[in-house]
Amino acid sequence: MLSRVAERVYWLGRFMERTENTARLLLVRHNAVLDLPKEVQPGWDLLLQVLGAEAIFAKLPGAAAEKNIISFVFGERENPSSIISSLTSARENMRTTREILPSETWERVNSLYLSVARRSHKDLPRGMRHSVLNNIVQSCQQVTGMLSGSMNHDAVYQFVRLGRNLERADMSTRIIDAASAGLMGNIHETSPFRNVLWISVLQSLSAYQMYRLSVGRSVTPEDVLSFLFQSTIFPRAIAHTLQEMESSMKSLPENEAALKVVKALRRQLKDTDCSTLAGPALHDFIDELQLQLLEVHRVIGVTWFAHEEGV
Amino acid sequence: MVQTKITSPKPYTRSRPRATIDWTQYNPGEFYDEIISSPGRARPATRSLVAFIRKQTIKHLISRQQAADLAIQEMGITFTVYSEGENIDRSWPMDIIPRIIPLHEWRVLEHGLIQRLTALNMFIDDLYNKQKILKDRVIPRDIIDSSPEFLKPCIGAKPRHGVWSHICGSDLVRDADGTVYVLEDNLRVPSGVSYMLENRAISKRVLPQLFERNSIQPVADYPSQLFDMLTSLSPRRNRHPEIVVMTPGVFNSAYFEHAYLAQRMGAELVEGADLVVGSDDKVYMKTIRGLSRVDVVYRRINDDYLDPEVFRPESTLGTPGLFRAWRKGNVGLANAPGAGVADDKVIYTFVPAIIKYYLGEDPIIPNVPSYLCFDPKQCQHVLDNLETMVVKPANESGGYGMLIGPASTKKERALFADLIRKNPRNYMAQPALKLSTAPTLCGNNIEPRHLDLRPFILQGKDHYVTPGGLTRVALRKGSLVVNSSQGGGSKDTWIVDTEAD
Repeated sequence: MLSRVAERVYWLGRFMERTENTARLLLVRHNAVLDLPKEVQPGWDLLLQVLGAEAIFAKLPGAAAEKNIISFVFGERENPSSIISSLTSARENMRTTREILPSETWERVNSLYLSVARRSHKDLPRGMRHSVLNNIVQSCQQVTGMLSGSMNHDAVYQFVRLGRNLERADMSTRIIDAASAGLMGNIHETSPFRNVLWISVLQSLSAYQMYRLSVGRSVTPEDVLSFLFQSTIFPRAIAHTLQEMESSMKSLPENEAALKVVKALRRQLKDTDCSTLAGPALHDFIDELQLQLLEVHRVIGVTWFAHEEGV
Repeated sequence: MVQTKITSPKPYTRSRPRATIDWTQYNPGEFYDEIISSPGRARPATRSLVAFIRKQTIKHLISRQQAADLAIQEMGITFTVYSEGENIDRSWPMDIIPRIIPLHEWRVLEHGLIQRLTALNMFIDDLYNKQKILKDRVIPRDIIDSSPEFLKPCIGAKPRHGVWSHICGSDLVRDADGTVYVLEDNLRVPSGVSYMLENRAISKRVLPQLFERNSIQPVADYPSQLFDMLTSLSPRRNRHPEIVVMTPGVFNSAYFEHAYLAQRMGAELVEGADLVVGSDDKVYMKTIRGLSRVDVVYRRINDDYLDPEVFRPESTLGTPGLFRAWRKGNVGLANAPGAGVADDKVIYTFVPAIIKYYLGEDPIIPNVPSYLCFDPKQCQHVLDNLETMVVKPANESGGYGMLIGPASTKKERALFADLIRKNPRNYMAQPALKLSTAPTLCGNNIEPRHLDLRPFILQGKDHYVTPGGLTRVALRKGSLVVNSSQGGGSKDTWIVDTEAD
């Protein structure tokens, strides 16, 4: 398998996951607005923070208000982490690897792209958000299902899976980070809304129901963090994504260096005491985690995509 | 021009006899028609096709055409056109009525094509080595010296089997009297063969009945013939060679074909950046297992962009060092760099002399009579007769930059006269041929449309010619331009053995 092809399907996996997670993030944010009284609502700019897109937003005209931020995250092509940008990149990577992926997945991605592109320069009014965003999430899941259910689980598949899980881990850390810093900052420890906000963090990661099922206790920050970082059975928990990456890497050639990095990270995560993670300590922990995820990305590039060492 | 009409415009009802195709209404006029010898009369090889169509209603034919169009869309058979700053993927246009050539006629053409390519390859090999043909003054040295396609870095190269152009697409046309001419040779990176293969796949789907009644030569083994030919270029003969198809990328108009051929041959489809040339002057591709040696590159990228070390330094499409590896004999390149020197439209006029010189034979397929503008006498003749001439630049392809005299305006002719006077070496002219026609489904009628034929000829250790080739048809009434980028369509091409019936 050519390195270039491997890299393209890896990015296909990443961009599809990014599309799905961003749509989910908007969806949850939209629902949270409906639940919370105005005074405790986090600013819309929190979304920009999660996506690391504040600087680009500032360069474009328009105030940091709900309507502008939604359009920016949904359909702004100048924003590299918008849904339309992610989908454009996913489609472009797929267009050049079409012949090795099941043909119905190309059709699905292409038609999803076209439907989003048609809307991308318009506003997304409140009444339409749910159906539009939900359709994106479902289409992405369809593609994941098609790949899982109808293609050879060969090297091509493993690279898509690697990309998907690494992106998922990255998105999860961003959401937790932004939530802990931006969300909780101005709400008092004893506020009744704290609970609602932690629930919305879980919801942003589609984790609420699964948290309830597996933790079985009321929502506490320590339990939430432990679930999101350390669960090996919840697919969006960091530990689980690492486990998936490890399993993909095991069926790829020349995997020693990459496996070493992932295994070390898994061990470290397992040994973390989540009760010590609050405030600045949590932020530092996440910072370190993100650097290590970048290292995983780098080692994948060097090992399989013929990237030069050190680049 | 009289057109085939539906004999009854009323809607079909069960009590009424069905309105079927009336061939006597189809009249190609002064042109040679590939299917019909005179109104209402089929040629011997086309009898069963003509009889089949006679029994159909126009409605049914249209529904078959729609089935073909749908299949083409579903199978994603596209070509890319660049227009208004955008790349658009268009569905491949194919007319369902096939073009038929009798096998006995094809056998002659096949020999002619092999003869031609054999001589042209000897010519290229001679040009880059001993230059005997120039020393013997069969071809003026000036022509070669002034040709931008004569690549100095290739001098002294000795590709395997002495072959430079391994895959050639020669365009054949038929004039009013039925004579078939070679219009031009494409010795660099000819395209279209995937469409020939797909056209056959489509017509088998939509007109299966006809395949039962005719003995049609199959075309499907082209990818394996191509693979075998490429294998014969491998520098490492004792093992299974690694063959790759090299594409400039997804934005190239023929990307579909590159991906198609790679897939059918089971070869990797690579871009320039996927390959590296090591300090050992061997070619490797970057795989997830590390570097892996490549033996033969079927490159679908022009000479100019092939290797920035030797040709255009700014090219990012090619691979640095590829040329060096080829010169050292460490990799087979098809087609070899520099082969384009022999498909210059000025060299074209010398091909009969080239065949005579190297093979001592007369050409089996004649050239279209041509006038070279760098010869003052011939140039004057061209300028005096622009109205009946087709003027072509020596080094363009795709039907761009041409003047078609009979269809031109006075202003266009004046413009071309100026261009020719300014740069006579760059132009040649041919009398406008009365291109043959074939019945084509146009709206609600069957009408004659002009066409040509591009067979593909392979030469490595052995020769192979596709049975038939890609028939391109000018869909606009009266038009002679068959290029798909300019409104041309295509037809499946059948070589029919009449004796087998």
